[in-house]
Amino acid sequence: MPQRMYRSFQGLLLLGLCIFFASKAASGQLTWYINARFVPLTLFGIVMLAVLAQIIFSEIKRSRQRAQDGEHDHGHAPASSNLWFMLVPLLIGILIPARPLDSSAFATKGFNTNAPLVSADSSALLFETDSEEHNVLDWIKLFNYEEDVTQFVGQKASVIGFVFFNEDLSENQFFVSRFVVSCCAADGFAIAMAAEWDEAAALQQDSWVLVKGSIEAITINDRRVPMIVAESVQEVPVPNQPYLFP
Amino acid sequence: MRTSVRNIKGRLKSALRFFGWDFSTFVHGYNHPVETTTTPNRLSRRLILSVALGVLFFVAIAMIPAEFFAWLWSRMNVFATVFLGIFVEAVPYLILGTLASGLVEVFLDRDQMSKWVSGRPAAAAVSGAFMGMIFPVCECGVVPLTRRLFHKGLPLSAGISFLLAAPVLNPIVVFSTAAAFGWGQMLAWRFGLSLVIAVVTGLIFSVEKEAGNVLRPALSLHDHEHVHADVNDSFFEKIRKALLITVDEFFEMGRYLIFGSVLAAALQTFIPQSLLLSVGSGPILSVLVMLALAVLLSVCSTVDSFIALGFVGTFSFGSVLSFLVFGPMVDIKSVMMYLQVFKRRAVFYIVAIPFMMSLLSGLLFNYLSP
Repeated sequence: MPQRMYRSFQGLLLLGLCIFFASKAASGQLTWYINARFVPLTLFGIVMLAVLAQIIFSEIKRSRQRAQDGEHDHGHAPASSNLWFMLVPLLIGILIPARPLDSSAFATKGFNTNAPLVSADSSALLFETDSEEHNVLDWIKLFNYEEDVTQFVGQKASVIGFVFFNEDLSENQFFVSRFVVSCCAADGFAIAMAAEWDEAAALQQDSWVLVKGSIEAITINDRRVPMIVAESVQEVPVPNQPYLFP
Repeated sequence: MRTSVRNIKGRLKSALRFFGWDFSTFVHGYNHPVETTTTPNRLSRRLILSVALGVLFFVAIAMIPAEFFAWLWSRMNVFATVFLGIFVEAVPYLILGTLASGLVEVFLDRDQMSKWVSGRPAAAAVSGAFMGMIFPVCECGVVPLTRRLFHKGLPLSAGISFLLAAPVLNPIVVFSTAAAFGWGQMLAWRFGLSLVIAVVTGLIFSVEKEAGNVLRPALSLHDHEHVHADVNDSFFEKIRKALLITVDEFFEMGRYLIFGSVLAAALQTFIPQSLLLSVGSGPILSVLVMLALAVLLSVCSTVDSFIALGFVGTFSFGSVLSFLVFGPMVDIKSVMMYLQVFKRRAVFYIVAIPFMMSLLSGLLFNYLSP
């Protein structure tokens, strides 16, 4: 492949990646892939991709100028396969519809009803906030770190998550699940909190719900875990940040 | 029989060439001239073969139940999300690493390098391990930068210990580890062990006097480099050249990053993690499982301590420590990138020595402080 053509493809691919990332950032979908903490880093990446694309396009212009001046272009481009590899993320991103991790990932990623995942001191802070502001992860942390879980029984709770049915639970029960992501979707793992509701059978697997009710302590696989006795279950759209960040 | 096998091989190769990459391109990073041999006789045979293959393909597809495709499609979604997760996370770091490499190329000359870095292997290995404090790169960025530093005359021992230690021994990772585990034992052991492993591996490599036996002939860095740095360039000209090098290296290293991420995402999509975790009890197996997980997850060293935190309850101190020490040195995508810089035998040692040492230290911890 001639040098200038190689450069053109390079520029287009850089621009393509830049636009792809920027569109993900604009639609708020970046947090479907990475922890919100790293979004600024990706924004820096988007700017750098644009700068690099600009450098390449100006280089193409210069080489065209050089050619007009009669200078010989020492054209030996690197392997063109370098370029086609860069198409892979673009194709995967465009052809496969974007979807945050859901229960179809449970088969390989598994899910937990208890999560020993945060440094010990962080559950102490939770006592300072109102019980209705706790998310699924907070409840699981509380039940994981506190000796006496009966103190939470009867507290008001309001959590958002997606529905997951499992044979561990009876027919009027379901799990409210969330994925927890520390870095990117690759390390995401699911946590789940049981919920009890008379009309549970009407719910769809993977649909997002807002569950309001009061806390009850139950035992699953010999562990005391929280269950929410629902007063209302309301279908909600997928939240802007589908994952929880510890 | 033998000839037909050879034919199929050839056909596969030519099909691959049609898409612009053959195996030798993948390995060497440049194109060999393509020789084509087509005779009418072969052409008709090729036609028959492709028709037969086509029919076979459709029969095979028709025999697979529809549920399989639904299942595969839902797997594809997980695959895409995991792959893009790793890729989106890694791209800024790769840009930073290649940018550092570009800047080193235009602003650092060989004389300065030999002034800074000692010729004695031990001193070079130790100073190489601490160079990460000046170049804060993670495991994606460190590979192109190391190659560039070798090109500038960095001794083998220093380069290897830099390659292995820099993803851990740098300010960003110090703070992220401290944020996850506090300024305590885990932090101290992580950095101490990484330093020791990197220096020992560097020293082992210093036995090899001929860098050419370890490094792949860096084609793009010598004759084929189309961007030539010049001492007399103006500052802006230098920056422009550094950015051009950044682009070239971004593409060159990017393919290995992409290949590694695809592999890691595919493994994660099809191998249940619970399978790994369920075998992971006992002082020996738990270390092996954490080492396997470090390779499989392929997450960036700047954040892996937050992930390790998730295993503290289920796994012993030694096992989590070995995850934190080994993960930044070796994972699927970094091995792919090592293969671009080092010869295969050298890559084997770069993987095997840290593996043995991480395993050993994990075991020692498990047995001495249960």
